Amino acid sequence: MAEVEETLKRIQSHKGVIGTVVVNAEGIPIRTTLDNSTTVQYAGLLHQLTMKAKSTVRDIDPQNDLTFLRIRSKKHEIMVAPGNLAFHFLVKLSFCFTR
Amino acid sequence: MAHDAPSSSFPLGRLLHVLRLTAQMPPPRRPPLPSHADSLPGCFLPLSWSACAQCCVDLKSCQTASIVTADASAQVRNHADAQVQTEALEPVSVQPPSRCDIPRLAAFLRRVEAMVIRELNKNWQSHAFDGFEVNWTEQQQMVSCLHTLGYPPAQAQGLHVTGISWNSTGSVVACAYGRVDHGDWSTLKSFVCAWNLDRRGLSPRQPSAVVEAPSAVLCLAFHPLQPSHVAGGLYSGEVLVWDLSRPEDPLLWRTGLTDDTHTDPVSQVVWLPEPGHSHRFQVLSVATDGKVLLWQGIGTGQLQLTEGFALVTQQLPRSTKLKKHPRGETEVGATAVAFSSFDPRLFILGTEGGFPLKCSLAVGEAALTRMPSSVPLRAPAQFTFSPHGGPIYSVSCSPFHRNLFLSAGTDGHVHLYSMLQAPPLTSLQLSLKYLFAVRWSPVRPLVFAAASGEGDVQLFDLQKSSQKPTVSIKQTQDESPVYCLEFNSQQTQLLAAGDAQGTVKVWQLSTEFTEQGPREAEDLDRLAAEVAT
Repeated sequence: MAEVEETLKRIQSHKGVIGTVVVNAEGIPIRTTLDNSTTVQYAGLLHQLTMKAKSTVRDIDPQNDLTFLRIRSKKHEIMVAPGNLAFHFLVKLSFCFTR
Repeated sequence: MAHDAPSSSFPLGRLLHVLRLTAQMPPPRRPPLPSHADSLPGCFLPLSWSACAQCCVDLKSCQTASIVTADASAQVRNHADAQVQTEALEPVSVQPPSRCDIPRLAAFLRRVEAMVIRELNKNWQSHAFDGFEVNWTEQQQMVSCLHTLGYPPAQAQGLHVTGISWNSTGSVVACAYGRVDHGDWSTLKSFVCAWNLDRRGLSPRQPSAVVEAPSAVLCLAFHPLQPSHVAGGLYSGEVLVWDLSRPEDPLLWRTGLTDDTHTDPVSQVVWLPEPGHSHRFQVLSVATDGKVLLWQGIGTGQLQLTEGFALVTQQLPRSTKLKKHPRGETEVGATAVAFSSFDPRLFILGTEGGFPLKCSLAVGEAALTRMPSSVPLRAPAQFTFSPHGGPIYSVSCSPFHRNLFLSAGTDGHVHLYSMLQAPPLTSLQLSLKYLFAVRWSPVRPLVFAAASGEGDVQLFDLQKSSQKPTVSIKQTQDESPVYCLEFNSQQTQLLAAGDAQGTVKVWQLSTEFTEQGPREAEDLDRLAAEVAT
C-alpha cells in the first residue's frame, strides 16, 4: 500500500508533471491527483483512445503490442502507459518548447 | 292488602307485566296468569287480551341459509418499473482503494514506473519538436493587393490621401483627401470617401459615400462603436464629425471657427470614451499650435470644448536636454497622438521638436499660455523622451505591452521607446526619406508597419530580424510617398495604405502576420527588459 503511494508520489513530483491518473481495466479511475470531474473526463476519453490504439497495433501485427502512447498538444502532453489490468496516464506540461 | 308485586291491584300492572314478558326472550311455558280482576272491588273490565296471553310462546330457531363461496384464480398483468423522475447525476467517485487489488496494482506500477520516468526525462531534455508547429488552416504565403481604390475627381486635383481609417465593423475603409505640403491649398474643397469592402459590386473608382469638406482634411478617425460616424480634422483648424449613412446631410457636429478652435491645422483626431459613460465618446484633437482639445458633441450640431491642454516649452519636464529656445512662451506643436491601451488617461504626444512626451489627462497644473479659451488650459506633459533628428510624424502605443511605444519622423528612423526611460530602446533606420506613419499590429505583439517617403510599406517582425524589414511592399511605382496606413482590427489580415497619388491600396497579409506565435508576448517582455539594461 505504501509502495503504491510512494511510486505514485515519485512520478507525480517529477519535473513538469501536472497530474497522474491510474485507471482499471473497465476505465474507472482508481487513483488520481486531479480533481474529480477532470479525472472522469480524462479517464473516459483516454480509455477509448488507448483501446483503439492497442487494437490498431495488434491488427497491424498480431505479435506486436502497444507499449506507450503519447499525445502532444499545444499546451500539454498526455502520456499513457498501458498494462493488462490497468492504464496509467499523466498529464504533463510540455517542456520541449523551451530553448 | 299485600299482594305480589306483578299482580298489582291495578289492571295496568298486568299490562305492563305482559309487555315485559313479550319484550324479553320468549319465556317458557308458564301457567296462565291469575286473573285477580274478580276479587277486586270496583268496576270490572273484561280483559280482551287475557285470552291471547294464555297462548304459549314457542321458541323457534331463526337462521339464514349459508352462502356457498368458492375460490377462483385472479390474473395480474406483468408490469415493469419505469423511472419518470430525473435525479442529479451522481459524480462517479474514485473507487476506494480497499476494493481494488493492491498487490496487483503495486506490481503494475513497479513495472511501469521505470518506463514512465525514462520517458519523462527524455521529454524535457529532447529538442525534437522545437521548431515544429502544426497549422490547421491554409497558409497564405504572399502579401497581395486586394483592392486599389481611388476617387477620380480628387485625384484630378492632385490631392493626396492624408488620413485612413477602418470603421468599427472592419468592413468600411474611409480616406481623407488633402495636401500634406500645405501651401495655399486651404481654400480648395476636399473630400472624405468611404468604400464598403464587403458589399458586392464594389467599384474601386466609385466610393459608397463621398463627403465634401470646406478645406483640406488632414486626419480621420471612425467612431469606435458607431459604424458610420467619422471625425476629421481640417487644415483650417476645425474638427468635423460626419455621419456617412446620411448622404443628403452628413455633417453631424462641427467646432466652427471660435476662440476655442485650433489656429493651426489639426494633425490628428482620436475618439475617447467619456469617463463614466463608456458608450459615449468625445473627440480629442491635436494641432501644431500646441493645444490638445477635448470636444463633446451637443444637440445643436456644435462641438463644445470640455477640456483643454496646452504645451508650453517652459513647462516641459526636464528629463532630457532640449535645444534652447528663444525667450518667451513658445508653444510646442503636437503632430501625433497615441493613447495607451492599458491606461485610458495616459497618452503619448509626438512633437515638432522631435521629442515624444508622456502626458496624462488627469493633471491639475495650469498652462502658462495667453491663448484664449473657454475652459482653463492645463499642462499635460509629465515626461520628455530623447528626441529624433527631426519632427515626429507618428506615434503608436503597443497593444500588448504597457510601456512600449514607437515613434517615426522625418529622420527616417523608427524609435522603440519604453515609458520608463528617456533614451529609446532601439532605433531602426528604415528609409533615407521621411517616415510618415508607424503602427503596431493588433494581433502580433512583435510586428509593426511603417509607411515611408520612398513609396513602400515596410513590415517588421522583431522576432525574425531586428535590423531589416521582413516584407517591403511597394505601393507606388514612381516612389511618391505613402502618407498613412492602418491595420484592420476585425479582419486582421488587411492593411490599408494611402499614398500621394490619391489611391488607397488594401493589402492582404500573409498568415505569418496574422497569427500569434507560441510565446510572442513573453518575447516582447524580454525585449523590453533586456534592451533597457
